[in-house]
Amino acid sequence: MRPDPIRESVTTIGKDGTRRFLQPSLVFGAWWKARRVVAWLLIAFFAALPWIEIEGFPAVFLDIEHRRFHLLGTTLGLGDLWLLFFVITGWGFLIYATTALLGRIWCGWTCPQTVYLEHVFRVVDRIFEGDHVSRTRLDGRSWGEPAKLLRRGGRMLAYLVLCWAVAHIFLAYFISIPGLYPMITDAPLAHPAAFVAMAVATAVLFFNFWWFREQLCLIICPYGRLQSALIDDDSVIVGYDEKRGEPRGKPAAGLAAGDCVDCRRCVQVCPTGIDIRQGLQMECIACTACVDACDDVMAKLRRPPGLVRYASLRELDGGKTRFLRPRTILYAAMLVVGLIVATVSVLRVQPAGFKLSRPPQTELYSVSAGSVANVFRAKIQNKDEAPRRFFISAEASGTKVTVLNQSAGMVIAPQAEITLPLTLLVDRQDYRGEFNFTLRLRSEDGKISLLQKAHFIGPDPRDLKR
Amino acid sequence: MPDDDNLGEKPVIMPHTYDGIQEYDQSLPNWWLFTLFASIAFAFLYWLANFATDTTPDDRVAVNAEMDALEARQLAAVKNLDDATLWKMSRNAKTVAEGQAVYNSLCFTCHGPTMAGMKGLGFRLNDEFWVHGNTPTAIFNNISEGIMFEGKPTGMASQKVLGTGRIAAVTAFLLSMQKEGAMKVIPRKDEPSQLAP
Repeated sequence: MRPDPIRESVTTIGKDGTRRFLQPSLVFGAWWKARRVVAWLLIAFFAALPWIEIEGFPAVFLDIEHRRFHLLGTTLGLGDLWLLFFVITGWGFLIYATTALLGRIWCGWTCPQTVYLEHVFRVVDRIFEGDHVSRTRLDGRSWGEPAKLLRRGGRMLAYLVLCWAVAHIFLAYFISIPGLYPMITDAPLAHPAAFVAMAVATAVLFFNFWWFREQLCLIICPYGRLQSALIDDDSVIVGYDEKRGEPRGKPAAGLAAGDCVDCRRCVQVCPTGIDIRQGLQMECIACTACVDACDDVMAKLRRPPGLVRYASLRELDGGKTRFLRPRTILYAAMLVVGLIVATVSVLRVQPAGFKLSRPPQTELYSVSAGSVANVFRAKIQNKDEAPRRFFISAEASGTKVTVLNQSAGMVIAPQAEITLPLTLLVDRQDYRGEFNFTLRLRSEDGKISLLQKAHFIGPDPRDLKR
Repeated sequence: MPDDDNLGEKPVIMPHTYDGIQEYDQSLPNWWLFTLFASIAFAFLYWLANFATDTTPDDRVAVNAEMDALEARQLAAVKNLDDATLWKMSRNAKTVAEGQAVYNSLCFTCHGPTMAGMKGLGFRLNDEFWVHGNTPTAIFNNISEGIMFEGKPTGMASQKVLGTGRIAAVTAFLLSMQKEGAMKVIPRKDEPSQLAP
């Protein structure tokens, strides 16, 4: 019999550094069912998003080629990239808050690595190679044997097809379904960059799910390493009730037996190769397989379930979990602040852009018989999907500023930016020296109104009188 | 079968202690070490290819070659620019739009956003009267080289700023408002935009 895993060593790395592949057993149970439903919903959601159209664009379309990002009907340009700050901090605080409350619920239920590995690729494993016993037997066989070649080779092909499909869905987020379709039907050489991107994505996914698997969670993913900072005694984790379970197995004479019968079923089903009975460990992705496994055994023994269960360390120690704690309140407060700021900023994104500059290598101002003139260069961007007419007007207190030749306004094509020459005139009689003023860009329907502050440069008014 | 050599027994603790911290004698994963050795090998090959030998092209050489080629193309383009070609360009909507964009970013500051000229600054450009030559190549050269008037530079020499392609486009834009054979030369004092009060 295989010895138990120990806390001091990584089960999947041998003494000489070689990789040891786990063949965890499958356990059906209430948690497993719930996780499978969540996983399928997430996969369906991921696959459907590029197909759903909102206001003429896919729900999520990160159009890197044209530097435009379509998110649920909102279109963001590269100039709106600062909003990403709120996405990242919001995501961060969401993860902080949920981790402090519920431990690694993200890893076990929603992380793509778990979702695809547990609910797609391990399913393929079982279809082609059977249960964990026959898979382990197959590991020991040579590739020369037809049985292994057929079963493992078949699995490899199935993996490749699945990774290829996932890579296509992934690519659709960046080039959209209408963009993707000709790339699929045309010859690979017609779109070499997309073909290479697709091939690389397929290869990376294949390597990850075929070979790398739990190594990503154990060694690469930083989230697991943050646990010691994010989790405290009141965070709900997957834990073993030591008080109830120990002493495990057959106790020495005269001692009362604990509920754990040391059947090692929890070790057998663990996808990262740990023994949950050794307490909270960095490797635990809180996938609840051991919970289902133990509940199953307890039911057969007619003992109450929950020897391994979702519980906080305090609860396992006989206390009561406190959900309202300084850290959960702080994380939640920051999450709420972040959400509010993010929502307000997204709602305030204007579907137009307006910037002013002075043309280089030109006179700062000019004086003619009737007026003083300043020239500006306005960059006006229409981020909308429809053409729009804009008007520009100048507003100054006490001085009448005329924008030359702009009374009819201008029509800007969808998603286009124009450079507009602006000549601003002040009547010589009105001119009282340099002054600050505001230029207003207004859309015809009045929905957009953007302001730019500017400074009118001119001569000393006394010079004009001479 | 994979061996279970590291299961069950605790690893050895190394004899050294730093700041009260001890460590187990464990192997790094081989795949992890592979990434280390692979990056060392890559660094060596990179050094070999880019610094030790001339296997890969030097960026500076490549940029210089590209600039030379660009200059050669521009010179060839100037040589080929004659009146007929410029007239032809002025009837191409795309070239004219490009020229208009250049005009709107720079030329308008003196010649006005409506091309009506500005007194004391720039001549009117949207009528058939021209002061410094009435042929497309003359206009091209005026934009490119600027104009000397009474020993002082007046028009702006834009060759360095715009380059041949954009100057040709602006010329085409100006010509798009003209008819071949209808452009007249007038003396400076009669230029309309300079007459107004």
